[in-house]
Parts: sequence; structure tokens; C-alpha cells
Amino acid sequence: MPDSGYPWPIETTRLDNGLRVVVSEDRTAPAVAVNLWYDVGSRHEPQGQTGFAHLFEHLMFEGSVNVAKTEHMKLIQGAGGSLNATTNPDRTNYFETVPAEHLELALWLEADRMGGLVPALTQETLDNQRDVVKNERRQRYENVPYGDAWLRLLPLLYPPGHPYHHATIGSMADLNAADLATFQAFHRTYYAPDNAVLTVVGDTSAAEVFALAEKYFGGIPARGDIPAAPDGRTVPATGRPVAETVTADVPAPRVYVAHRTHPFGSPGYDVITVLAAVLGSGRGSRLYQRLADGERIAQPDLVGAYGVDLAHAPAPLIATVTARPGVGAQRLADGLHAVMDELATVPVTPSELDRAKALLSTAWWRQMSTVDGRADTLSRYATQFGDPARAAERLPAWLAVTAEQIAEAAAEVLAADDRVTLTYLAEEKP
Amino acid sequence: MTLIATRPGPGPARPYRFPSVVRRAVAGGQVVAAHLPGQNLAVALLLLDAGAEREPVGKEGLGGVLAKALEEGTAQRDAAAYALAVEGLGTELVTALDWDSFQVSVQVPVDRLGAAVELLAEAVRTPRLDPADVVRVRDDEATALRMDWANPGPRADAALRADLFGAENRWGRPMYGDPESVAGLDVEDVRVFHSEWFIRPGTLVVAGDLDRVDLDALGAAAFAGTGGGPVDRAGPIDVRLREGRRIILVDRPGSVQSTLRLGHPSPHRAHPDHVPMTLAGTVLGGAFTSRLNHLIREVRGYTYGIRGDFASSRRLGRFAVSSGVQTAVTAPALTEAVGEISRTQSGGVTEEELAVARSWRAGQLSVELQSPRAIAAALATLVVHDLPDDYHARLREALLAADVDQVSAAAATHLHPESLTLVVEGDAAVIRDELAATGLGEIVES
Repeated sequence: MPDSGYPWPIETTRLDNGLRVVVSEDRTAPAVAVNLWYDVGSRHEPQGQTGFAHLFEHLMFEGSVNVAKTEHMKLIQGAGGSLNATTNPDRTNYFETVPAEHLELALWLEADRMGGLVPALTQETLDNQRDVVKNERRQRYENVPYGDAWLRLLPLLYPPGHPYHHATIGSMADLNAADLATFQAFHRTYYAPDNAVLTVVGDTSAAEVFALAEKYFGGIPARGDIPAAPDGRTVPATGRPVAETVTADVPAPRVYVAHRTHPFGSPGYDVITVLAAVLGSGRGSRLYQRLADGERIAQPDLVGAYGVDLAHAPAPLIATVTARPGVGAQRLADGLHAVMDELATVPVTPSELDRAKALLSTAWWRQMSTVDGRADTLSRYATQFGDPARAAERLPAWLAVTAEQIAEAAAEVLAADDRVTLTYLAEEKP
Repeated sequence: MTLIATRPGPGPARPYRFPSVVRRAVAGGQVVAAHLPGQNLAVALLLLDAGAEREPVGKEGLGGVLAKALEEGTAQRDAAAYALAVEGLGTELVTALDWDSFQVSVQVPVDRLGAAVELLAEAVRTPRLDPADVVRVRDDEATALRMDWANPGPRADAALRADLFGAENRWGRPMYGDPESVAGLDVEDVRVFHSEWFIRPGTLVVAGDLDRVDLDALGAAAFAGTGGGPVDRAGPIDVRLREGRRIILVDRPGSVQSTLRLGHPSPHRAHPDHVPMTLAGTVLGGAFTSRLNHLIREVRGYTYGIRGDFASSRRLGRFAVSSGVQTAVTAPALTEAVGEISRTQSGGVTEEELAVARSWRAGQLSVELQSPRAIAAALATLVVHDLPDDYHARLREALLAADVDQVSAAAATHLHPESLTLVVEGDAAVIRDELAATGLGEIVES
């Protein structure tokens, strides 16, 4: 068993303006991954402004003081790079992987939009990207069967006012109401060097990156006093199960079960991660063996369970099954609930545990097999736990989880009286 | 302002190297491997000449059903024991199918690769194919396809393919079949397909730290008990372009978006224009900064994204554009997309656009070819298309050397805006009249 999940060097520094810089040198391939985490996500959005953090992410590609509209993409792709950005409840990340000789270009572009976005932000850009995001919402959530499951689960799991109560994509009404001044303020508030981590992994050295970071980011003033998101760490158990049934244009009944567990990064969540693999990863998982193969009530390709790795509140564990033809939603839900309940009562066997850990090990090393995967991981640990080197702890922590801990965790956080169940029924066709 | 206004230029270019390739004949089969020193993870991929092209007409989806049936127990153990054994190594059996090949692979920490390849071979060479299991797997596959076909896209894709290549041909039907074709398969179809195509040795592709891998042992495991040699593969198919555009309307009542699939036939993979054609496709629809994405997403705001490219297999190819646009702007989006294709065909590309496309494609080789999975896929390309070990290095040179005249000529020769099939999957009652008013072509209801 490996005693470290991160056997590469890590060097860190902090600029005077608070920007944390993380470098992990690896000369294997002539490429570098540049990754920035801003510690702002949809959990910071007040009521009436849902979807703003994500819409803002789009605006970051639309030009800044020294970079023309659409030029960011053109320059990175023109350098041979890949780039993207994502927003989730916790944070917003921006990343590009480029041939190593273009490292300086990538840092210049990131610095320009960190320090110089507001003067370049126009009403026209906002209107256009608002339309793009609304199209994204239609394409991902509204026009696909079961596409709105996540949007429905969150408010069932987290009460109004909780930072995870609403989904990152936001509501159409809030997006329509978004005005320019709000976004200018959003950038001034959160897109500051002292609210970000810059990680570079690959064909470069710490000395080179530290010097370039100082050159391009060093002149950006610190914001200081960045407002915190509402505290969501304590979510009182309701003591009663919550169920929602949706009748929609879906091809078969489907059931989701969700629980609030522990925050990502905590020992409790490590147990949940292994538990989720026992429950729902692969053909050897309990859900597959019991419901797809055993009782044959679930479609084999659509069985799964996973934790959503959120760090600022008890993170969700979600399990889902979809009915085989002729199987009703109630029978399916009963089957899923029974398998969930048994996690506390039927001990996980050594082979179940080994299987789950082996799958998690491969998943970990797959994430580590590219410079971009490593960069995002280091940014996460620096942002959420204050030290990128703590990335090395995750895999050993998973491997140390015991069957007893899984049974205890199931009894503690997967109790039937604190469960969310979301059921989709196929609407009758005329 | 505290920012540096001047954009930095590139540093000295670092040499590009594809990992060193080892080719070896072992136990009646071929092993093709790439050395990734220090990499903890390794991939082994068995490549069989059993792509969709090998399925008889009317039996579409056979390979997909067989792929699933492989895991329903082997000569040595039942399905549950097999799943525990494979997943106990930390991998799942990953199957993939395209027109030219069938691929089965495992991905594990390198010290487990030998055990994983033994299990892979056990499933591929000696599956039980118990009739009751095969029937169940077939029904599950048909159900899974029905689920998938409830999403926007598959029906539009099928309509486009049939119109381009003719539904009477295997290659004019969906690569994975459709819910009906899969439901119509029987146990004998699956057993015959296995005995015909899954007992031949094929090629084992390996990507990993070869200092920690015994290639001969892997080959011996992968090829044990195999027989029969390679089977001739037919040459490229000459596909006719249609005369005049047409619109195929696929009804999706209540849809909030219209799914667009525009396309026409294009050359096969070994065509000498492959590189300039790829670059013309990149300028038009490949990169985020493409002409189509700029116009339809960034300027008009009609969509979350639009892409277009040339794709090819050993025997044929197609140019296609795909997008999802708001229902209300279906007609203008379609008109503008056709207009952009026409402009690219007649006017070619600019040096500025080509500079982005060429360095992006070339740079992607060093950026994307990192993980064992990506390297294994690159090796599979070498095998399927009979390419040399230094193909990726040469490709990089060819991409960087392509000039505006060559790429514009490829656009002029291989784009056919007047022969496009325009498939629109959306709320027909809402969009039919507007589509007719565009004058882009006659409307056929699918």
C-alpha cells in the first residue's frame, strides 16, 4: 500500500498581496498545467442572485484590460492549449494546459482577468453570456430526461438559507434580473489575489513560476476582508423522511435517494467515499448485485452511488436506480431503501472492502496521471485545507477505512428517518 | 494600472516526443506497447477486427450485446465472481466499439497489469454465453438504447446517417444499432459473432512503465487459445453526394431546444487531404474559437455550443455540424450555419485563423497525450490505420507546415454546402413553417 497519494515535489509561496502559489515540477512531458481556484461559488450567492457565480465564470472569458473579447480562447488554443473553467457550490476554477514554452502567456492571461476584468465588462457582454448560460440550462437540465434531478435534490437536502440550498446553474428569473453593477461588484469582492490559489504543474521549476507569478500577479492589490459565505456546517436532522414524486416525460421510473453526510476532507467523509464505492461502483457493488443482477428490477447500466465532494457543509451521498420494463416505482424504491438500510446491519465483507479500495486507488491514480489532474487537486487542498501537501493524505485515508466504520457511518448518517427520496414516474402517453 | 500590458511571447520550444514504441510478435498475436517511465498506472487494450462494420445488416448492435455478455460469467467463474475478481484489481472491463474495431481494456496500477490481462482474456476468449444470460443482456441493451433514444440527438444522428449513406447499408445505420435492431437479435447471432471474430488473436496494446511490465507474458495471456488469422478488409466506399439540400424534420413535441445535425459525406481516413481537411474543419467548427461557435454562440447567443468536423473511418467519412439551439431561433440558426459553411467553402481560411488551428492541433498532441489511456488510444490508431511508430511526430510536422492555400483548397474541395442534409429534431408544429420559409431545402418528415 502506498504511504503517499502524491509522490511528486510540492513547493509553495505566498505573494505580498496574498496570492498563494503552488508548484509541482514534473519534466516527463513538455507541457504545463496552470490552475486557479477562486474561493467563491454558488454558496456565496444571496437570495435573488442564484446562478451569478457561474454566469461570472463565463464573463471571465470575454476580455479584460489588455485582452480583447474572445482573445483568451484564441491565444490559448493558438498556443496548442486546452482550457476550461467550472463553478460549483464551493468554488470557481479556471485552468489551461499548454505546451511548456507558453507558460508565461497563460500566467499573463490569468493575471489580466484577475486584476483587470471590470473596466472591460460591458452590458453587451453580460447580455450575450446570459443568453449562453440560459441555453446551457436548457441543454443540460431542461431538455433531457431526469436532467433536473440535482436541481430538485438540493432544496430537499438543505433548508432555505443554507448555502447549498440552490443549484449553481441558478434560476432563469434571477439570471434575467442580473445587472452589470452587480457583476462589477462581484469581481471586486471575490476575484482578488488573497482569495485565490495559483497552481502550476509540469515542465517548469518552482523558481521560474514564483518569479513569473510575482511579475504578472504581484501588482494586483489585495482585497482584504473578503466576506464569508453563510455558515452551513450544521444542518439539523429533520427526523422525518422527505419524498418528492415527479411525473415527467421520462422513459422509465427512476429513484434517487440522498443523505447529508460529512464535509469532504473530514474522516467521516472518507468513510462515506468508501461506502459509496461498496454501494454503487461497478458490477460487484451491492446495488448492482442486489437490484440489477439479483432481483433484476434495475437497469444494469443505470445503477450508481457517489458522494458529491463538497467541503463547506455535510456533503450529499446520492444513490440512484432506474426500473427495468414492467417494474413499478414503489418496488424499485423499496429495493433501493432496503439496500441502503442494510449498510448498517449487514457487515461489509473483506472482499467488498478490498474491491472498493482497489477501484478508488485506480481512480486516484487516474486523476494523478495528468498534469492538469494534479494541478486541480493541489489547488483544492491549498484552498480548502490550507496546504496542498495534504492531497497526499486522501488515498491512504481511504485505504485505512474499516468495515466497522462503514457500518457506524451508515447507522449515523444514512438513517431512514433522515432520508430524501426523489422518484420520477413516466407520464402516460396519449 | 498594475498589470503588465505587453503579451509575452513563447519561450524556446521544447522538443516533442511520442513515447518510444515497441512492437513484438507473441504467441500468434501482435503486441504494440509504449514506454511511460515512472507512470504508476498502466493500460492494456485488446484490439479486435470486430467493429460495427463487421455486423451484418439488420443485426446492428451485435457487438454491443456481446460486449456486455462477456461479463456474464466465463468458463472458470460466474458473473458475480468475475466482477469481484476484476474489480478487486481496481479496474472494470471497458469495452468500446467503432466502425473499424472492437476494443476491450483494463486500467490498473502497473503491478496488477498481468493479472488484469489474464482476466480480460478469460472474458474475451472463454465467455459462457449462457442463452438465458444472453437474452437478458440483449433485453437490457434494448432498454438502455430506448433510454438513450429518449434524449435529444440519437434520432437526429440516425436520420442524418441514413440519408448520407443509405439505410440499406450497415454503415448507413447507427453504429450501436437502435432499440429495435437490438431487440431483434437472438442468442445464435451473438454466439456466431463471437466465434467468428473474438477468437482471432488481434493486437494487444500496452501503455505503461515497461520496466515493470513483462510484455511476453501479457501477450501469452492475451493470445492463449486463439486461432485464425486476419481477415481482408474491404477498401474505401465511394459515396455519392446528394443533389440539392434537404431538411429532415424529426418531431420532438414540447422540446425547448432544436437539435441540429448538418452533414454530407467526406473522404475516408487514408485520403491524402486528411491533414488540410482536418484543419479546415477546425477553423470552421473545431475549436471554441471556430467560425461557427463565434457566430452562433458568441455573436447571436442562439446556443450553448456548436461544433463541426470531418470524421473518418477506414472506409468512409462525413462532415457534420451539431448543436442544440433555442426553439424560437431554429430557422435563423440553421440559415446562418449553412451560410458560414458556404463562406468557408468559397472563401477559404485566413492565415490568422489557420495559425490558431494549426498550432492548436499540433499543441494538443503534447497536451493531450499524457495519460496511459490516451497513449493507448494513440497506439490503437497506429494499429487500425497501419501507421508508422513516428506517426504522431510526423503528424505534428504536417499540421505545422500546412499553409493557407492547401487548407483553403481542402475547404473548397471537401465542403459541399449545396449537398447538405439538414436534420432538425424539435417541436415540429412550432418550427415547421419557419423552416419551410428559409428556402434551404424541401422538408421531409422523419
